[in-house]
Amino acid sequence: MRPATPWPAVPAVAGGRGLARSAAMAGALRKTTGLVGLAVAENPHERLRILYTKILGVLQNFPKDAAYRKYTEQIVNQRFNLVQTETDVQKLQDKLNSGHIEEVIVQAENELSLARKMLQWKPWEPLIEEPPSDQWRWPV
Amino acid sequence: TVRPKNEVEQKQLCAFGEYMAEILPKYIQQAQVTCFNELELLIHPDGIIPVLTFLRDHTNAQFKSLADLTAVDVPSRQYRFEIVYNLLSLRFNSRIRVKTYTDELTPVDSAVSVHKAANWYEREVWDMYGVFFANHPDLRRILTDYGFEGHPFRKDFPLSGYVEVRYDDEVKRVVAEPVELSQEFRKFDLNSPWEAFPAYRAAPEPLKIEAGAKKDDAK
Repeated sequence: MRPATPWPAVPAVAGGRGLARSAAMAGALRKTTGLVGLAVAENPHERLRILYTKILGVLQNFPKDAAYRKYTEQIVNQRFNLVQTETDVQKLQDKLNSGHIEEVIVQAENELSLARKMLQWKPWEPLIEEPPSDQWRWPV
Repeated sequence: TVRPKNEVEQKQLCAFGEYMAEILPKYIQQAQVTCFNELELLIHPDGIIPVLTFLRDHTNAQFKSLADLTAVDVPSRQYRFEIVYNLLSLRFNSRIRVKTYTDELTPVDSAVSVHKAANWYEREVWDMYGVFFANHPDLRRILTDYGFEGHPFRKDFPLSGYVEVRYDDEVKRVVAEPVELSQEFRKFDLNSPWEAFPAYRAAPEPLKIEAGAKKDDAK
């Protein structure tokens, strides 16, 4: 689904990050993501570039007409273009509109593992088995 | 008052249902949106882990939170138990329901490998309904007493149960004996002998989009 209203960042966190950023130079490291257990990523552009190329590589093994391949390629190419054109981390986060850049990295890792698993499950094949005719009837 | 219809949300959910049905046609038997704007995916039981992993990991569907895992018993069906997973996406603020089916003896794949939260929920479904989850790390009773026999939430299990416990002074421990009610169970049939709504005898036909692939609206 297109992001309708992603949860806003906690105000205190945004303030802390903003202070750290304005104190340091524009390209320097942020102090903290503000999320427990998620460390600040140094060089996120490089990491995202690697992950997106890997995902696109895995997607090449899918059949050309598989819907998963089509849509995921669309999403990944869109994000890849944004990552390559936008060098400032803050502006990239705003354009992607998907939370912190570290969360975007985590999401890309998830998408990669999902693509590998989908290759084994082959979900584009037709339905395994039809349910019995009264199975999904409500009221019974 | 009547809740106003939110057409935008309904259209978004319908679009997402079609998206899901297009990506995973192997497992999704139906996708429907209720009149209360709740999206439900009806799945073949082999597809539990693929569909739940897809919903958790895919960028357009980050349903990272398993809100609930329950079962529904409908004894008249061939596959009497309907397992229901409720998922919540924090990124997109939306919910989805995934439903599968099984009978008393067929095991179902455990969702613990996908969502850790499913652990105790599946123990509860095992205890209350008798649905066995394969690859569950620790499937044992969670709510019933230690030596309890039977699965209480099944529709054929009576309200007062089969045994009651009391402390017996002779043997100096708690014993379980068949239940003795002072008054026999009374069931009242409150239906009126006359038909209430003759215009609504048959259930309304829901709108379909593609034949057999999915439905648009449900009751």
